[in-house]
Amino acid sequence: MHDRPTLGETLERQGVSRRGFLKFCVTTASLLALPPTAATAIAEALGQARRPSVIWLSFQECTGCTESLTRSFAPTLENLILETISLDYHHTLQAAAGEAAERAREEAMHANEGQYLVVVDGSLPGPGANPGYSTIAGISNLQMLEETLAGAAAVVAVGSCAAFGGLPMADPNPTGAVPVSKVVRDKPVINVSGCPPLPMVITGVLAHYLTFGRLPELDEYGRPLAFFGQSIHDRCYRRPFYDKGLFAETFDDEGAKKGWCLYRLGCKGPMAYNACATMKWNGGTSWPIESGHPCLGCSEPDFWDAGGFYRALSVPTGDIATTAAVGGLLGAAAGGAAVVKTRRAKADAISAHRPITAEELEQQL
Amino acid sequence: MSETAINSTTEPTVASFSLERGLQAWREEIDAPTAAFFSSCVHCGLCAQACPFFVETGDPKYTPIHKLEPLRRLWEREFTLWGKLKTRLGFSQPIDDALLEEWEPLLYDSCSMCGRCSMVCPVGNDIQYMIRKTREGMVASGHAPEGLIAASVRAVNTGSPMGLQWKTLDVQIKHVETASGLTVPIDQAGADYLVLLSSMEIINFPEYLEAIAKIFDHAEVSWTLSQECFEATNAGVQIGSKDIAAVLVQRVVDAAVKLGVKNVISPECGHAYTGIRWEGPNVIGRAYPFKVFHIIEVLDQLRADGRLRTEGMETDRLSMHDPCNLARKSGVIEQQRHLMKLVAENFIDMKEHGKYQWCCGAGGGVSSNERAEELKMAAFRRKKAQIEEIRPDRLVTMCATCRTQLEEGLEEYTMDIPVVGLTEMIAEHLVEGEPS
Ligand code: SF4
Ligand code: SF4
Ligand code: SF4
Ligand code: SF4
Repeated sequence: MHDRPTLGETLERQGVSRRGFLKFCVTTASLLALPPTAATAIAEALGQARRPSVIWLSFQECTGCTESLTRSFAPTLENLILETISLDYHHTLQAAAGEAAERAREEAMHANEGQYLVVVDGSLPGPGANPGYSTIAGISNLQMLEETLAGAAAVVAVGSCAAFGGLPMADPNPTGAVPVSKVVRDKPVINVSGCPPLPMVITGVLAHYLTFGRLPELDEYGRPLAFFGQSIHDRCYRRPFYDKGLFAETFDDEGAKKGWCLYRLGCKGPMAYNACATMKWNGGTSWPIESGHPCLGCSEPDFWDAGGFYRALSVPTGDIATTAAVGGLLGAAAGGAAVVKTRRAKADAISAHRPITAEELEQQL
Repeated sequence: MSETAINSTTEPTVASFSLERGLQAWREEIDAPTAAFFSSCVHCGLCAQACPFFVETGDPKYTPIHKLEPLRRLWEREFTLWGKLKTRLGFSQPIDDALLEEWEPLLYDSCSMCGRCSMVCPVGNDIQYMIRKTREGMVASGHAPEGLIAASVRAVNTGSPMGLQWKTLDVQIKHVETASGLTVPIDQAGADYLVLLSSMEIINFPEYLEAIAKIFDHAEVSWTLSQECFEATNAGVQIGSKDIAAVLVQRVVDAAVKLGVKNVISPECGHAYTGIRWEGPNVIGRAYPFKVFHIIEVLDQLRADGRLRTEGMETDRLSMHDPCNLARKSGVIEQQRHLMKLVAENFIDMKEHGKYQWCCGAGGGVSSNERAEELKMAAFRRKKAQIEEIRPDRLVTMCATCRTQLEEGLEEYTMDIPVVGLTEMIAEHLVEGEPS
């Protein structure tokens, strides 16, 4: 594959201007939390890079991850990357079918021995499970993964299914699904979780790999820290309401209309690490919490089984349904009065404060 | 005040602290974050795994969030609808002196306010911040440990929690001056830096003052001590009384303003540093007209400016204990490593270091509280395990309390590993007689 054009050449041929390309590199640098000067390095490296081979395997999944990648707004880095990497094999996107498709995979593997990246979306029936639950071209997922990985440089597990087992692994896990990391032993695995992951996170990781020839720094779940380093809660624009204790109690109450915190409606933001709050979705249009829905924590292990989506992480006084019912019984007026009363209790306490002195303390000795 | 005491049946002086006064203090302390924290705890127990007192004793009562139970009860009872209802129906559990007595050791003896629990909580509960708040009510209800009460009284009355007076320091100053041939500047108006000390340094580690004198002479830094305020540790913060804390912080501010200094250097004491740097402006209610640095930050700045010229290298296998207040709570992590690199060629970090390090077990007033001695040594076992993993020849640190605890702990467990202060180590390597 030595006749492959470089990324720079491909882009030029597609009419992407140098300026457009640089802009892409600057964005990537900032997404990866690299200093602005790194943009030049990225441009340099990417421009020179031969189209790297990527083999994309889809196992037990819903295609949401691929959708996420391809449905992003054009022209974006997603498209740039997709068109510039050599996506030599992709179940969903490739035109080839049947034996021709499998041949394409094998060819790509041989031509790029030791160099290509394997991207996996979806989980797979584990070594102990019945392989028949998911096969492609008569080959079990596990076998295909092992074969493909033999000559790979690294594997990127895209989506919460591939990274953590996701929906297929949800209780009671009928297919014995396991995440990619459970079966890969001797290759670096990078988890790009999310259900689906943010498109820019997928491409950001690929761009990082192409530029620096290594994977970015990872957190304890194998996720790139640059994107998964902060919780949704830490970056949520509703956070000031959380800190003031102002919560929406239902999806259509006054609080919801005023944009108060969605914690009590089940928001998992405090324990979800992802970049939605900063990067948003659909070309920066919005993100779940901005559209009024609590965060499901889709980038976290076992989010399907982590209690109900609309159950608060925990509520002040036990069962939220009871609290709400009691609150309803007592009526909004009583609730309001209670708030005023507690505020007054605090204010009274402050004005009644008697400073503690050393003399008083001394009497205790 | 005395008029109201007429109606009182007890002696007014004895009755000054009471359960009700403690509850009032908590009502003052409960704010939106407290409410949010109590409402968000998912009872995952991660904080327990992060706390050296739980990890080393295995006793579930040392679970950090559990230590806050009295405050949580008051919050639930008086600040939540459900709690109010429960109280009215008679379901709520009482908050009485018996409860506070039971919790006193949990709040004081088994928490060094190291902040490790706050760091790991998945919903972001700042537990050590709430321990600090809960202690306010403990003092006001008369449930603070004797050791800390005595330290607070001495701090206010004599200027130092250990009861040291200027004349003791003066003796040390004379020693330093004879040993080094340098003059220790005292009450120098307009100096760039006002240096504060901790009693622990004056008594246990006088070499620290000598090191500062040498380094500042070498780097030509203008500095001074103040006769009016030489001590920066804040027993008020540790016992949990913002009133006492404010008196002590104000003393520093007055001294610094009087001398017109631009910068104040906190001693090698972790709690003194967070007390004067982060908590101080809040307790006195206004910003300082000067900046506060830990000595390590100042030294690293001098290093970066090329004003520390050193020679020779330590060849021993050295490791470092990061004080919680400096590393985890204030983010001073790289600075000490830069300084280490300057003088040590065989430095090895412990597995968990920087913001993840384990507490030595002595901070947050635990070391001034004799009753806590046994727990303090139990908590140290975590540090000991870390040290054993890498077996260094010597340990370096930059907090007098940590250093004392490390020395005592290593002795208790018969481990022959000397502990050195980082500032002293830097001073030993200065290129002599050649100011930069
Ligand atoms: S992670 Fe979510 S979006 Fe991706 S394949 Fe699995 S279920 Fe679909
Ligand atoms: S909406 Fe969710 S993420 Fe945002 S502040 Fe509330 S709890 Fe945190
Ligand atoms: S770590 Fe946080 S959420 Fe978990 S039990 Fe402790 S305080 Fe509660
Ligand atoms: S601050 Fe440190 S010592 Fe205190 S409860 Fe938390 S982890 Fe334990």
